[in-house]
Amino acid sequence: MKHTLKYIFSLCFLLLVFLGHAQEVKDSTAVKKTIPQKTQTKTTKPAVQEVKKDSIVPPKTDRYGLRIGVDLYKLTRAFYDKDYKGVEFTADWRLTKRYYAAAELGFEDKTTDDDRLNSTATGTYIKAGFDYNLYDNWLDMENLITIGLRGGFSTFSQDLNSYKIYNPNPYWGEQQSINVNEKHSGLTAGWLEVTGGVKAKVFNNIFVGFGVQLKLLVMNNKPSGFDNLYIPGFNRTYDGNFGVGFNYTVSYFIPIYKKKIVVPEIQNQAPKKK
Amino acid sequence: MKKIVCLLLIFTFGLSGCEKDDICDANTPTTPRLVIEFYDNAAPTVLKPVTNLKVVGVGKDDTDAIIFNEGGTSVTKYLTSASKISIPLKTDGTSTSYKFIFNATSTSPNTDVLTFNYTTQNVYVSRACGFKTTFTLNPRDNTANSGLIKTDPAADGIWMLNTNVVTSNIELENETHLKVYF
Repeated sequence: MKHTLKYIFSLCFLLLVFLGHAQEVKDSTAVKKTIPQKTQTKTTKPAVQEVKKDSIVPPKTDRYGLRIGVDLYKLTRAFYDKDYKGVEFTADWRLTKRYYAAAELGFEDKTTDDDRLNSTATGTYIKAGFDYNLYDNWLDMENLITIGLRGGFSTFSQDLNSYKIYNPNPYWGEQQSINVNEKHSGLTAGWLEVTGGVKAKVFNNIFVGFGVQLKLLVMNNKPSGFDNLYIPGFNRTYDGNFGVGFNYTVSYFIPIYKKKIVVPEIQNQAPKKK
Repeated sequence: MKKIVCLLLIFTFGLSGCEKDDICDANTPTTPRLVIEFYDNAAPTVLKPVTNLKVVGVGKDDTDAIIFNEGGTSVTKYLTSASKISIPLKTDGTSTSYKFIFNATSTSPNTDVLTFNYTTQNVYVSRACGFKTTFTLNPRDNTANSGLIKTDPAADGIWMLNTNVVTSNIELENETHLKVYF
């Protein structure tokens, strides 16, 4: 609950900042956190000295490292949905200031109960690609609003548990569903994803975030005499090649090295403050 | 960056083209019925409409016949005067028999019985429709397992002078499977 609140707060904060005028919002939000800025706005006259002090302050650094996490949505779904078991681990590695290499690795076991079909898909998947951070952080914040691309690949089995015959003219009566337990294993599928997501640092190196994915199925190895109704990692299939996905992650950032932020940017901004 | 946004837009528009696939569309070919066409025995290429034909499954009550026109009264909805009819086969068996009552409303109806013996195959259609059953009529011979057997239990004479199985694979309803000459 505490996490959720923090998460919601961070999100609102992020979005507010994203829409508003940078200067104004900065003033109002900086109050709670940064004493140096406060003094700067209050004492307008001796600003020359202050500015000098600012540039002396140790240069800002960006932290680089590995962030690993887990999808809470998949993990907790097993508690209330007996037809589902699944887990997804996420990882990203910061490449440059804005680019992150990202990957997800997961397992899913889902029974789909449609009106006329009952089938179970079980398998593992991997998704790899990159994220691009659209968000400009102030100070030492490390929040992310990302857009990214992934390639996904899954190996799985699709088991047909039971089915019904569709008979539009049931003169002789509707037939009961037929249990077959047909196993189709060794299936594969591949897809492309466009992802959008938010990650907010809630404290220390802990991040919470959510993401949505739009998927395009490019390779689908269907079982003979049946179809892939659910593909682990891709989720439910539709008549076309499209799919959607969603995750809610908690992740931990392992800092590995730091890079200085290029100084001229700060010096250009500092005089503007006046 | 702009490329990514473009791609996202394309994706979104692509998604809006998706259709709901939870409901089995009535136009999807599912379990087919057996399609029978009636021809003039004297001129075998000319379609000939039947007169007040009533078709009842053997084992069913005479009042539980195949409904040919939904809007009819309790009597007329079971009657047809068309030259082409479709009758459902049992999906959970390998034999279906029907009584074909010609001139059912007259005082002297003529009843012939056709028995179809066949094998079934269950074929996947889609998520919404599930599976369908298709049928293959057995070859016609003199055994009890013949694909088509014509009998006259009412002993009122045979009105179906000739029958001809056009195709023994019953997979679609847009083709004729059996031709009956009278």
